[in-house]
Amino acid sequence: MKKNFAKLNYYEILDITPDAAFFEIRHAYNAAIQMYRADSLVSYSFFSLEERQEILNLLEKAYLTLINGKERKNYDKELIQLGIIDNVGGKAGSKRSAGIYDASRQWGKAAVLKDSKATLKEKVAQNKHINEILSKQEISGADLKTIRNELGVAIEKIAGETKIRMDYLISIEEDKVKRLPAAAFLKGFIKSYLKCLCIEPLDDVCVRYMDCLARIGKNN
Amino acid sequence: MVHIWPIGGGKGGSGKSFLASSLGRVLAGLGKKTLLIDLDLGAANLHTLVDVPYPVKCLSDFIHKKIPLLENTVLETPVPNLYLISGAHDSLDIANLPYEQKVKTLKAISKLNYEWILLDLGAGTSFNILDFFLISQNSIFITTPEPTSIENVYRLIRSIYFRRIRQYFNAADFKTLEEEVVQEFGEGSFNKPDCIMQAVKRAHPEKSLQLENDFNSFRFKLVLNQLRSKDNIALGAQICKIIEKHLGFQVDFAGNIAFDDRVHDAVCQRVSFLDRYPYTRTAYDLRELSKRIVNSTSEQLLIRYS
Ligand SMILES: Nc1ncnc2c1ncn2[C@@H]1O[C@H](COP(=O)(O)OP(=O)(O)OP(=O)(O)O)[C@@H](O)[C@H]1O
Ligand SMILES: [Mg+2]
Repeated sequence: MKKNFAKLNYYEILDITPDAAFFEIRHAYNAAIQMYRADSLVSYSFFSLEERQEILNLLEKAYLTLINGKERKNYDKELIQLGIIDNVGGKAGSKRSAGIYDASRQWGKAAVLKDSKATLKEKVAQNKHINEILSKQEISGADLKTIRNELGVAIEKIAGETKIRMDYLISIEEDKVKRLPAAAFLKGFIKSYLKCLCIEPLDDVCVRYMDCLARIGKNN
Repeated sequence: MVHIWPIGGGKGGSGKSFLASSLGRVLAGLGKKTLLIDLDLGAANLHTLVDVPYPVKCLSDFIHKKIPLLENTVLETPVPNLYLISGAHDSLDIANLPYEQKVKTLKAISKLNYEWILLDLGAGTSFNILDFFLISQNSIFITTPEPTSIENVYRLIRSIYFRRIRQYFNAADFKTLEEEVVQEFGEGSFNKPDCIMQAVKRAHPEKSLQLENDFNSFRFKLVLNQLRSKDNIALGAQICKIIEKHLGFQVDFAGNIAFDDRVHDAVCQRVSFLDRYPYTRTAYDLRELSKRIVNSTSEQLLIRYS
Protein backbone atom coordinates (compact mmCIF):
# COMPACT_ATOMS: atom_id res chain seq x y z
CA MET A 1 0.00 0.00 0.00
CA LYS A 2 1.20 3.42 -0.91
CA LYS A 3 0.91 6.63 1.03
CA ASN A 4 -2.46 8.19 1.47
CA PHE A 5 -3.16 10.78 -1.24
CA ALA A 6 -3.78 13.56 1.25
CA LYS A 7 -0.32 12.97 2.68
CA LEU A 8 1.53 13.34 -0.61
CA ASN A 9 3.62 16.45 -1.10
CA TYR A 10 2.95 18.85 -3.96
CA TYR A 11 5.52 17.22 -6.20
CA GLU A 12 4.08 13.78 -5.62
CA ILE A 13 0.56 15.03 -6.17
CA LEU A 14 1.55 16.37 -9.57
CA ASP A 15 3.85 13.43 -10.36
CA ILE A 16 6.92 15.55 -10.93
CA THR A 17 10.39 15.65 -9.41
CA PRO A 18 11.49 18.41 -7.04
CA ASP A 19 13.72 19.87 -9.77
CA ALA A 20 10.87 20.19 -12.29
CA ALA A 21 11.04 23.24 -14.52
CA PHE A 22 8.16 25.66 -14.86
CA PHE A 23 6.75 24.18 -18.06
CA GLU A 24 6.83 20.69 -16.56
CA ILE A 25 4.76 21.89 -13.64
CA ARG A 26 2.23 23.49 -15.93
CA HIS A 27 2.07 20.41 -18.08
CA ALA A 28 1.63 18.13 -15.06
CA TYR A 29 -1.08 20.36 -13.68
CA ASN A 30 -2.99 20.32 -16.96
CA ALA A 31 -2.66 16.55 -17.18
CA ALA A 32 -3.93 16.14 -13.63
CA ILE A 33 -6.91 18.42 -14.26
CA GLN A 34 -7.80 16.28 -17.26
CA MET A 35 -8.03 13.30 -14.95
CA TYR A 36 -9.89 14.83 -12.03
CA ARG A 37 -12.33 17.16 -13.76
CA ALA A 38 -15.98 16.39 -13.10
CA ASP A 39 -16.54 15.38 -16.72
CA SER A 40 -13.48 13.13 -16.87
CA LEU A 41 -14.15 9.56 -17.86
CA VAL A 42 -11.27 8.36 -15.70
CA SER A 43 -12.40 9.57 -12.33
CA TYR A 44 -16.12 9.60 -12.95
CA SER A 45 -17.69 7.31 -10.30
CA PHE A 46 -14.39 6.99 -8.49
CA PHE A 47 -14.89 9.94 -6.14
CA SER A 48 -17.76 11.49 -4.34
CA LEU A 49 -18.53 15.13 -5.08
CA GLU A 50 -16.73 16.31 -1.97
CA GLU A 51 -13.71 14.10 -2.57
CA ARG A 52 -13.34 15.43 -6.08
CA GLN A 53 -13.60 19.05 -4.97
CA GLU A 54 -11.04 18.45 -2.28
CA ILE A 55 -8.60 16.98 -4.77
CA LEU A 56 -9.12 19.79 -7.26
CA ASN A 57 -8.48 22.35 -4.53
CA LEU A 58 -5.35 20.53 -3.51
CA LEU A 59 -4.10 20.40 -7.09
CA GLU A 60 -4.67 24.09 -7.53
CA LYS A 61 -2.87 24.90 -4.33
CA ALA A 62 0.07 22.73 -5.37
CA TYR A 63 0.20 24.38 -8.77
CA LEU A 64 -0.05 27.94 -7.53
CA THR A 65 2.63 27.32 -4.94
CA LEU A 66 5.09 25.69 -7.30
CA ILE A 67 4.83 28.23 -10.10
CA ASN A 68 5.50 31.07 -7.71
CA GLY A 69 9.27 31.30 -7.27
CA LYS A 70 9.17 32.70 -3.77
CA GLU A 71 6.47 30.43 -2.44
CA ARG A 72 8.13 27.43 -3.99
CA LYS A 73 11.39 28.26 -2.26
CA ASN A 74 9.62 28.43 1.08
CA TYR A 75 7.78 25.21 0.43
CA ASP A 76 11.00 23.45 -0.61
CA LYS A 77 12.64 24.68 2.57
CA GLU A 78 9.90 23.06 4.61
CA LEU A 79 10.31 19.77 2.78
CA ILE A 80 14.08 19.87 3.17
CA GLN A 81 13.75 20.50 6.89
CA LEU A 82 11.39 17.57 7.19
CA GLY A 83 13.94 15.48 5.32
CA ILE A 84 11.42 14.72 2.60
CA ILE A 85 13.51 16.02 -0.28
CA ASP A 86 17.24 16.60 -0.66
CA ASN A 87 18.62 20.04 -1.07
CA VAL A 88 18.19 20.37 -4.80
CA GLY A 89 19.31 24.00 -4.85
CA GLY A 90 22.15 23.94 -7.35
CA LYS A 91 20.72 21.58 -9.90
CA ALA A 92 17.16 22.73 -9.71
CA GLY A 93 18.14 26.36 -9.65
CA SER A 94 20.06 26.10 -12.88
CA LYS A 95 17.31 24.18 -14.60
CA ARG A 96 14.71 26.60 -13.37
CA SER A 97 16.32 29.93 -14.05
CA ALA A 98 18.65 29.34 -16.95
CA GLY A 99 16.24 28.24 -19.57
CA ILE A 100 12.67 29.01 -18.76
CA TYR A 101 12.29 31.00 -21.94
CA ASP A 102 14.08 28.49 -24.14
CA ALA A 103 12.46 25.58 -22.44
CA SER A 104 8.94 26.81 -22.85
CA ARG A 105 9.61 27.75 -26.46
CA GLN A 106 10.87 24.29 -27.15
CA TRP A 107 7.91 22.87 -25.37
CA GLY A 108 5.60 24.90 -27.59
CA LYS A 109 7.27 23.60 -30.72
CA ALA A 110 7.13 20.01 -29.59
CA ALA A 111 3.49 20.42 -28.77
CA VAL A 112 2.71 21.62 -32.28
CA LEU A 113 4.56 18.68 -33.81
CA LYS A 114 2.80 16.27 -31.47
CA ASP A 115 -0.52 17.84 -32.38
CA SER A 116 -0.07 17.43 -36.10
CA LYS A 117 0.97 13.81 -35.52
CA ALA A 118 -2.17 13.28 -33.51
CA THR A 119 -4.32 14.67 -36.34
CA LEU A 120 -2.53 12.41 -38.79
CA LYS A 121 -3.16 9.43 -36.55
CA GLU A 122 -6.80 10.31 -36.36
CA LYS A 123 -7.00 10.66 -40.13
CA VAL A 124 -5.39 7.25 -40.55
CA ALA A 125 -7.82 5.67 -38.14
CA GLN A 126 -10.86 7.19 -39.77
CA ASN A 127 -10.03 6.84 -43.42
CA LYS A 128 -11.85 3.84 -44.80
CA HIS A 129 -9.73 3.56 -47.92
CA ILE A 130 -6.51 3.54 -45.88
CA ASN A 131 -7.88 0.93 -43.52
CA GLU A 132 -8.83 -1.29 -46.42
CA ILE A 133 -5.30 -1.05 -47.75
CA LEU A 134 -3.84 -1.75 -44.32
CA SER A 135 -5.80 -4.95 -43.89
CA LYS A 136 -4.47 -6.42 -47.13
CA GLN A 137 -1.94 -9.25 -47.04
CA GLU A 138 0.42 -7.42 -49.37
CA ILE A 139 1.05 -3.72 -49.66
CA SER A 140 2.70 -2.24 -52.74
CA GLY A 141 4.53 1.02 -53.31
CA ALA A 142 1.49 2.25 -55.19
CA ASP A 143 -0.58 1.52 -52.08
CA LEU A 144 1.80 3.63 -50.02
CA LYS A 145 1.36 6.47 -52.51
CA THR A 146 -2.41 6.18 -52.23
CA ILE A 147 -2.17 6.35 -48.44
CA ARG A 148 0.09 9.40 -48.64
CA ASN A 149 -2.29 11.16 -51.00
CA GLU A 150 -5.29 10.30 -48.87
CA LEU A 151 -3.55 11.95 -45.96
CA GLY A 152 -2.61 14.95 -48.06
CA VAL A 153 1.10 14.75 -47.24
CA ALA A 154 3.48 16.00 -49.95
CA ILE A 155 6.30 13.72 -51.05
CA GLU A 156 8.74 16.61 -50.50
CA LYS A 157 7.69 16.70 -46.88
CA ILE A 158 8.58 13.03 -46.48
CA ALA A 159 11.92 13.63 -48.18
CA GLY A 160 12.57 16.52 -45.81
CA GLU A 161 11.59 14.67 -42.67
CA THR A 162 13.21 11.31 -43.46
CA LYS A 163 16.24 12.56 -45.44
CA ILE A 164 15.56 9.85 -48.01
CA ARG A 165 16.56 10.87 -51.55
CA MET A 166 13.68 11.99 -53.72
CA ASP A 167 14.45 9.54 -56.53
CA TYR A 168 14.30 6.64 -54.07
CA LEU A 169 10.95 7.79 -52.78
CA ILE A 170 9.57 7.98 -56.31
CA SER A 171 10.93 4.54 -57.19
CA ILE A 172 9.31 3.13 -54.07
CA GLU A 173 5.93 4.65 -54.88
CA GLU A 174 6.09 3.49 -58.49
CA ASP A 175 7.31 0.01 -57.61
CA LYS A 176 10.37 0.38 -59.80
CA VAL A 177 11.99 -2.70 -58.31
CA LYS A 178 15.31 -2.43 -60.13
CA ARG A 179 15.96 1.10 -58.92
CA LEU A 180 15.44 0.34 -55.26
CA PRO A 181 18.29 0.11 -52.78
CA ALA A 182 19.34 -3.17 -51.12
CA ALA A 183 16.71 -4.79 -48.91
CA ALA A 184 18.43 -3.85 -45.66
CA PHE A 185 18.34 -0.15 -46.58
CA LEU A 186 14.94 -0.37 -48.16
CA LYS A 187 13.38 -1.70 -44.96
CA GLY A 188 14.73 1.26 -43.04
CA PHE A 189 13.40 3.64 -45.67
CA ILE A 190 9.96 2.09 -45.63
CA LYS A 191 9.77 2.31 -41.87
CA SER A 192 10.77 5.97 -41.85
CA TYR A 193 8.22 6.61 -44.56
CA LEU A 194 5.47 4.86 -42.57
CA LYS A 195 6.46 6.65 -39.40
CA CYS A 196 6.19 9.97 -41.17
CA LEU A 197 2.59 9.12 -42.04
CA CYS A 198 1.81 7.68 -38.58
CA ILE A 199 1.03 4.26 -40.06
CA GLU A 200 1.17 1.42 -37.56
CA PRO A 201 2.22 -1.28 -36.83
CA LEU A 202 5.51 -0.38 -38.51
CA ASP A 203 7.15 -3.80 -38.63
CA ASP A 204 4.04 -5.57 -39.73
CA VAL A 205 3.28 -3.24 -42.64
CA CYS A 206 6.92 -3.23 -43.67
CA VAL A 207 6.96 -7.03 -43.86
CA ARG A 208 3.90 -7.02 -46.05
CA TYR A 209 5.47 -4.42 -48.33
CA MET A 210 8.61 -6.58 -48.66
CA ASP A 211 6.46 -9.64 -49.42
CA CYS A 212 4.68 -7.74 -52.15
CA LEU A 213 7.97 -6.57 -53.61
CA ALA A 214 9.33 -10.10 -53.63
CA ARG A 215 6.35 -11.24 -55.67
CA ILE A 216 6.61 -8.35 -58.15
CA GLY A 217 10.34 -9.11 -58.51
CA LYS A 218 9.60 -12.75 -59.31
CA ASN A 219 6.96 -11.93 -61.91
CA ASN A 220 9.30 -9.63 -63.78
CA MET B 1 3.86 -24.54 -13.54
CA VAL B 2 0.31 -23.54 -14.30
CA HIS B 3 -0.71 -19.93 -14.89
CA ILE B 4 -4.29 -19.25 -13.91
CA TRP B 5 -5.76 -16.01 -15.24
CA PRO B 6 -9.28 -15.05 -14.23
CA ILE B 7 -10.82 -12.58 -16.68
CA GLY B 8 -13.56 -10.27 -15.55
CA GLY B 9 -14.99 -6.83 -15.89
CA GLY B 10 -18.04 -4.75 -16.43
CA LYS B 11 -21.51 -5.94 -17.21
CA GLY B 12 -22.73 -6.93 -20.60
CA GLY B 13 -20.52 -6.95 -23.61
CA SER B 14 -17.25 -5.39 -22.49
CA GLY B 15 -15.55 -8.27 -24.29
CA LYS B 16 -14.61 -10.72 -21.53
CA SER B 17 -15.49 -13.80 -23.52
CA PHE B 18 -14.03 -12.42 -26.74
CA LEU B 19 -10.77 -11.70 -24.94
CA ALA B 20 -10.72 -15.09 -23.21
CA SER B 21 -11.22 -16.92 -26.50
CA SER B 22 -8.72 -14.74 -28.41
CA LEU B 23 -6.06 -14.98 -25.73
CA GLY B 24 -6.66 -18.73 -25.58
CA ARG B 25 -6.16 -19.03 -29.32
CA VAL B 26 -2.95 -17.01 -29.30
CA LEU B 27 -1.49 -19.00 -26.39
CA ALA B 28 -2.46 -22.29 -27.98
CA GLY B 29 -0.86 -21.06 -31.20
CA LEU B 30 2.35 -20.47 -29.28
CA GLY B 31 2.29 -24.16 -28.42
CA LYS B 32 1.09 -23.72 -24.86
CA LYS B 33 -1.43 -26.22 -23.59
CA THR B 34 -4.30 -23.92 -22.74
CA LEU B 35 -7.65 -24.48 -21.05
CA LEU B 36 -10.61 -22.12 -21.11
CA ILE B 37 -13.16 -22.46 -18.34
CA ASP B 38 -16.53 -20.83 -18.80
CA LEU B 39 -17.61 -19.79 -15.33
CA ASP B 40 -20.20 -17.34 -16.55
CA LEU B 41 -22.74 -19.93 -15.50
CA GLY B 42 -26.25 -19.05 -16.52
CA ALA B 43 -24.97 -16.99 -19.45
CA ALA B 44 -22.27 -19.26 -20.80
CA ASN B 45 -21.28 -18.75 -24.42
CA LEU B 46 -17.55 -19.34 -24.58
CA HIS B 47 -18.12 -22.64 -26.41
CA THR B 48 -19.61 -20.69 -29.31
CA LEU B 49 -16.55 -18.48 -29.56
CA VAL B 50 -14.19 -21.44 -29.84
CA ASP B 51 -16.38 -23.36 -32.23
CA VAL B 52 -17.70 -26.12 -29.99
CA PRO B 53 -21.38 -25.68 -30.89
CA TYR B 54 -22.69 -28.72 -29.03
CA PRO B 55 -20.75 -29.30 -25.83
CA VAL B 56 -21.48 -32.86 -24.73
CA LYS B 57 -20.45 -32.28 -21.13
CA CYS B 58 -19.90 -29.29 -18.95
CA LEU B 59 -18.95 -27.95 -15.54
CA SER B 60 -22.30 -28.73 -13.93
CA ASP B 61 -21.70 -32.44 -14.60
CA PHE B 62 -18.80 -32.09 -12.17
CA ILE B 63 -20.69 -29.87 -9.73
CA HIS B 64 -23.61 -32.31 -9.65
CA LYS B 65 -21.24 -35.28 -9.35
CA LYS B 66 -22.23 -36.85 -12.65
CA ILE B 67 -18.58 -36.71 -13.63
CA PRO B 68 -16.35 -37.21 -10.57
CA LEU B 69 -13.14 -35.75 -12.02
CA LEU B 70 -13.04 -32.19 -13.34
CA GLU B 71 -10.40 -33.28 -15.85
CA ASN B 72 -13.01 -35.49 -17.47
CA THR B 73 -15.30 -32.59 -18.31
CA VAL B 74 -12.64 -31.09 -20.59
CA LEU B 75 -13.58 -30.84 -24.25
CA GLU B 76 -11.27 -30.57 -27.22
CA THR B 77 -11.71 -27.63 -29.56
CA PRO B 78 -10.87 -27.51 -33.28
CA VAL B 79 -7.78 -25.49 -32.30
CA PRO B 80 -4.74 -27.63 -31.43
CA ASN B 81 -3.62 -27.15 -27.79
CA LEU B 82 -6.84 -25.35 -26.89
CA TYR B 83 -9.29 -27.04 -24.51
CA LEU B 84 -12.56 -26.02 -22.94
CA ILE B 85 -14.67 -26.67 -19.92
CA SER B 86 -18.04 -25.41 -21.00
CA GLY B 87 -20.70 -23.86 -18.83
CA ALA B 88 -23.34 -24.38 -21.43
CA HIS B 89 -25.97 -26.44 -19.65
CA ASP B 90 -25.73 -24.76 -16.30
CA SER B 91 -28.96 -23.30 -15.16
CA LEU B 92 -27.24 -22.42 -11.91
CA ASP B 93 -25.96 -18.87 -11.46
CA ILE B 94 -22.41 -18.81 -10.09
CA ALA B 95 -23.53 -16.41 -7.35
CA ASN B 96 -25.73 -19.19 -5.97
CA LEU B 97 -23.15 -21.95 -6.04
CA PRO B 98 -23.24 -23.55 -2.58
CA TYR B 99 -20.11 -23.17 -0.49
CA GLU B 100 -18.98 -26.82 -0.61
CA GLN B 101 -19.38 -26.96 -4.38
CA LYS B 102 -17.41 -23.78 -4.75
CA VAL B 103 -14.53 -25.00 -2.63
CA LYS B 104 -14.53 -28.33 -4.44
CA THR B 105 -14.45 -26.58 -7.83
CA LEU B 106 -11.71 -24.15 -6.82
CA LYS B 107 -9.57 -27.01 -5.55
CA ALA B 108 -10.13 -29.06 -8.67
CA ILE B 109 -9.22 -26.15 -10.96
CA SER B 110 -5.95 -25.49 -9.20
CA LYS B 111 -4.97 -29.14 -9.64
CA LEU B 112 -5.58 -29.29 -13.39
CA ASN B 113 -2.58 -29.98 -15.53
CA TYR B 114 -2.39 -27.22 -18.14
CA GLU B 115 0.17 -24.55 -18.83
CA TRP B 116 -2.42 -21.81 -19.03
CA ILE B 117 -5.92 -21.72 -17.60
CA LEU B 118 -8.16 -18.79 -18.46
CA LEU B 119 -11.37 -18.28 -16.49
CA ASP B 120 -14.23 -16.36 -18.09
CA LEU B 121 -15.90 -15.05 -14.98
CA GLY B 122 -18.79 -13.07 -16.33
CA ALA B 123 -19.98 -9.88 -14.68
CA GLY B 124 -20.85 -9.10 -11.10
CA THR B 125 -19.21 -8.93 -7.69
CA SER B 126 -20.85 -11.74 -5.75
CA PHE B 127 -18.62 -13.40 -3.15
CA ASN B 128 -18.38 -16.51 -5.28
CA ILE B 129 -17.08 -14.57 -8.27
CA LEU B 130 -14.57 -12.76 -6.07
CA ASP B 131 -13.33 -16.07 -4.69
CA PHE B 132 -12.68 -17.33 -8.19
CA PHE B 133 -10.64 -14.19 -8.86
CA LEU B 134 -8.64 -14.84 -5.71
CA ILE B 135 -7.76 -18.37 -6.80
CA SER B 136 -4.74 -16.80 -8.48
CA GLN B 137 -2.49 -13.79 -8.02
CA ASN B 138 -3.17 -12.87 -11.62
CA SER B 139 -6.26 -11.27 -13.04
CA ILE B 140 -7.30 -9.43 -16.15
CA PHE B 141 -9.95 -6.74 -15.92
CA ILE B 142 -11.49 -5.58 -19.12
CA THR B 143 -13.49 -2.44 -19.70
CA THR B 144 -14.69 -0.30 -22.57
CA PRO B 145 -14.11 3.45 -22.59
CA GLU B 146 -17.60 4.10 -21.23
CA PRO B 147 -18.38 5.46 -17.77
CA THR B 148 -20.71 2.55 -16.98
CA SER B 149 -18.12 -0.06 -17.75
CA ILE B 150 -15.30 1.78 -15.96
CA GLU B 151 -17.53 2.19 -12.93
CA ASN B 152 -18.04 -1.58 -12.83
CA VAL B 153 -14.33 -2.25 -13.01
CA TYR B 154 -13.57 0.11 -10.15
CA ARG B 155 -16.21 -1.62 -8.07
CA LEU B 156 -14.85 -5.03 -8.99
CA ILE B 157 -11.28 -4.13 -8.04
CA ARG B 158 -12.37 -2.63 -4.74
CA SER B 159 -14.48 -5.71 -4.03
CA ILE B 160 -11.64 -8.12 -4.69
CA TYR B 161 -9.36 -6.32 -2.26
CA PHE B 162 -12.19 -6.06 0.21
CA ARG B 163 -12.87 -9.77 -0.08
CA ARG B 164 -9.22 -10.59 0.46
CA ILE B 165 -9.17 -8.55 3.63
CA ARG B 166 -12.39 -10.20 4.75
CA GLN B 167 -10.86 -13.66 4.30
CA TYR B 168 -8.34 -12.92 7.05
CA PHE B 169 -10.93 -12.38 9.76
CA ASN B 170 -13.74 -14.21 11.41
CA ALA B 171 -17.17 -12.62 11.35
CA ALA B 172 -16.99 -11.10 14.81
CA ASP B 173 -13.55 -9.52 14.39
CA PHE B 174 -14.53 -8.14 11.04
CA LYS B 175 -17.63 -6.56 12.47
CA THR B 176 -15.59 -4.76 15.10
CA LEU B 177 -13.23 -3.61 12.40
CA GLU B 178 -16.09 -2.25 10.32
CA GLU B 179 -17.43 -0.31 13.26
CA GLU B 180 -14.06 1.23 13.90
CA VAL B 181 -13.74 2.25 10.29
CA VAL B 182 -17.13 3.90 10.21
CA GLN B 183 -16.37 5.70 13.43
CA GLU B 184 -13.11 7.04 12.08
CA PHE B 185 -13.83 7.69 8.41
CA GLY B 186 -17.54 8.23 8.46
CA GLU B 187 -20.63 6.64 7.00
CA GLY B 188 -20.04 4.72 3.75
CA SER B 189 -16.35 4.14 4.40
CA PHE B 190 -16.74 0.58 5.66
CA ASN B 191 -16.52 -0.79 2.11
CA LYS B 192 -13.46 1.20 1.15
CA PRO B 193 -10.45 -1.10 1.23
CA ASP B 194 -8.04 1.79 1.78
CA CYS B 195 -9.87 2.88 4.93
CA ILE B 196 -10.15 -0.66 6.22
CA MET B 197 -6.46 -1.29 5.67
CA GLN B 198 -5.62 1.66 7.88
CA ALA B 199 -7.75 0.23 10.64
CA VAL B 200 -6.22 -3.23 10.16
CA LYS B 201 -2.77 -1.75 10.42
CA ARG B 202 -3.57 -0.35 13.81
CA ALA B 203 -5.57 -3.18 15.36
CA HIS B 204 -3.88 -6.20 13.70
CA PRO B 205 -0.37 -5.21 12.60
CA GLU B 206 0.72 -8.79 11.83
CA LYS B 207 -2.30 -9.39 9.58
CA SER B 208 -1.75 -6.08 7.89
CA LEU B 209 1.76 -7.20 6.95
CA GLN B 210 0.48 -10.46 5.50
CA LEU B 211 -2.17 -8.61 3.57
CA GLU B 212 0.31 -6.16 2.15
CA ASN B 213 2.40 -9.11 1.07
CA ASP B 214 -0.62 -10.53 -0.69
CA PHE B 215 -1.42 -7.27 -2.39
CA ASN B 216 2.16 -6.85 -3.55
CA SER B 217 2.09 -10.27 -5.14
CA PHE B 218 -1.09 -9.55 -7.11
CA ARG B 219 -0.53 -9.24 -10.84
CA PHE B 220 -3.61 -7.38 -11.93
CA LYS B 221 -3.88 -6.22 -15.52
CA LEU B 222 -6.26 -3.79 -17.10
CA VAL B 223 -7.35 -4.05 -20.73
CA LEU B 224 -9.26 -1.34 -22.53
CA ASN B 225 -11.44 -2.86 -25.21
CA GLN B 226 -13.41 -1.40 -28.13
CA LEU B 227 -11.36 1.75 -28.38
CA ARG B 228 -12.51 3.94 -31.25
CA SER B 229 -10.40 6.51 -33.03
CA LYS B 230 -11.83 9.42 -31.08
CA ASP B 231 -11.24 7.83 -27.69
CA ASN B 232 -8.46 8.90 -25.40
CA ILE B 233 -5.68 6.36 -25.88
CA ALA B 234 -4.18 7.26 -22.52
CA LEU B 235 -7.37 6.37 -20.67
CA GLY B 236 -6.18 2.92 -19.55
CA ALA B 237 -2.96 4.25 -18.09
CA GLN B 238 -4.87 7.00 -16.32
CA ILE B 239 -7.30 4.53 -14.77
CA CYS B 240 -4.37 2.52 -13.41
CA LYS B 241 -2.81 5.68 -12.06
CA ILE B 242 -5.96 6.67 -10.19
CA ILE B 243 -6.18 3.22 -8.66
CA GLU B 244 -2.57 3.35 -7.58
CA LYS B 245 -2.70 6.88 -6.23
CA HIS B 246 -5.97 6.67 -4.40
CA LEU B 247 -6.37 3.01 -3.46
CA GLY B 248 -2.69 2.22 -3.19
CA PHE B 249 -3.01 -0.91 -5.35
CA GLN B 250 -0.98 -1.62 -8.39
CA VAL B 251 -2.82 -2.53 -11.56
CA ASP B 252 -0.74 -2.66 -14.75
CA PHE B 253 -2.20 -1.36 -17.95
CA ALA B 254 -1.85 -4.20 -20.45
CA GLY B 255 -3.05 -2.40 -23.57
CA ASN B 256 -5.83 -1.15 -25.78
CA ILE B 257 -7.86 -3.27 -28.18
CA ALA B 258 -9.22 -1.30 -31.10
CA PHE B 259 -12.90 -1.43 -31.94
CA ASP B 260 -13.61 -3.18 -35.21
CA ASP B 261 -17.01 -3.95 -36.72
CA ARG B 262 -15.59 -7.14 -38.13
CA VAL B 263 -15.44 -8.63 -34.61
CA HIS B 264 -19.20 -8.81 -34.84
CA ASP B 265 -18.96 -10.41 -38.30
CA ALA B 266 -16.49 -13.02 -37.07
CA VAL B 267 -18.64 -13.85 -34.03
CA CYS B 268 -21.72 -14.21 -36.22
CA GLN B 269 -19.91 -16.47 -38.66
CA ARG B 270 -18.44 -18.37 -35.72
CA VAL B 271 -14.93 -18.06 -37.06
CA SER B 272 -11.81 -16.88 -35.29
CA PHE B 273 -11.41 -13.13 -35.71
CA LEU B 274 -7.64 -13.52 -35.45
CA ASP B 275 -7.53 -16.01 -38.33
CA ARG B 276 -10.08 -14.25 -40.49
CA TYR B 277 -8.74 -10.67 -40.11
CA PRO B 278 -5.13 -11.10 -39.01
CA TYR B 279 -3.93 -7.75 -40.33
CA THR B 280 -6.40 -5.49 -38.58
CA ARG B 281 -5.38 -3.18 -35.81
CA THR B 282 -7.57 -5.19 -33.46
CA ALA B 283 -5.80 -8.46 -34.27
CA TYR B 284 -2.44 -6.77 -33.85
CA ASP B 285 -3.55 -5.39 -30.46
CA LEU B 286 -4.68 -8.84 -29.34
CA ARG B 287 -1.35 -10.40 -30.28
CA GLU B 288 0.63 -7.66 -28.55
CA LEU B 289 -1.52 -7.97 -25.47
CA SER B 290 -0.98 -11.72 -25.32
CA LYS B 291 2.75 -11.22 -25.62
CA ARG B 292 2.72 -8.78 -22.74
CA ILE B 293 0.75 -11.15 -20.59
CA VAL B 294 3.04 -14.08 -21.35
CA ASN B 295 6.07 -11.92 -20.61
CA SER B 296 4.67 -10.70 -17.33
CA THR B 297 4.55 -14.25 -16.07
CA SER B 298 8.19 -14.80 -16.88
CA GLU B 299 8.96 -11.73 -14.78
CA GLN B 300 7.01 -13.37 -12.03
CA LEU B 301 8.95 -16.62 -12.33
CA LEU B 302 12.23 -14.75 -12.23
CA ILE B 303 11.23 -13.00 -9.06
CA ARG B 304 10.12 -16.19 -7.47
CA TYR B 305 13.22 -18.22 -8.26
CA SER B 306 15.90 -15.59 -7.88
N1 LIG C 1 -12.74 -5.04 -29.99
C1 LIG C 1 -14.04 -5.14 -30.36
N2 LIG C 1 -14.49 -4.48 -31.46
C2 LIG C 1 -15.77 -4.58 -31.83
N3 LIG C 1 -16.68 -5.31 -31.19
C3 LIG C 1 -16.31 -5.99 -30.11
C4 LIG C 1 -14.97 -5.96 -29.63
N4 LIG C 1 -14.89 -6.75 -28.54
C5 LIG C 1 -16.13 -7.25 -28.34
N5 LIG C 1 -16.98 -6.79 -29.28
C6 LIG C 1 -18.42 -7.06 -29.43
O1 LIG C 1 -19.00 -7.15 -28.16
C7 LIG C 1 -19.76 -8.33 -28.09
C8 LIG C 1 -19.77 -8.86 -26.69
O2 LIG C 1 -18.51 -9.39 -26.37
P1 LIG C 1 -18.35 -10.54 -25.30
O3 LIG C 1 -19.37 -11.59 -25.50
O4 LIG C 1 -16.94 -10.96 -25.31
O5 LIG C 1 -18.68 -9.71 -23.99
P2 LIG C 1 -18.76 -10.22 -22.49
O6 LIG C 1 -18.03 -9.22 -21.68
O7 LIG C 1 -18.31 -11.62 -22.39
O8 LIG C 1 -20.31 -10.07 -22.21
P3 LIG C 1 -21.20 -10.84 -21.11
O9 LIG C 1 -21.06 -10.08 -19.83
O10 LIG C 1 -22.57 -10.72 -21.66
O11 LIG C 1 -20.71 -12.24 -21.02
C9 LIG C 1 -19.12 -9.27 -29.09
O12 LIG C 1 -20.04 -10.18 -29.60
C10 LIG C 1 -18.66 -8.36 -30.17
O13 LIG C 1 -19.67 -8.17 -31.12
MG1 LIG D 1 -19.30 -13.42 -21.81
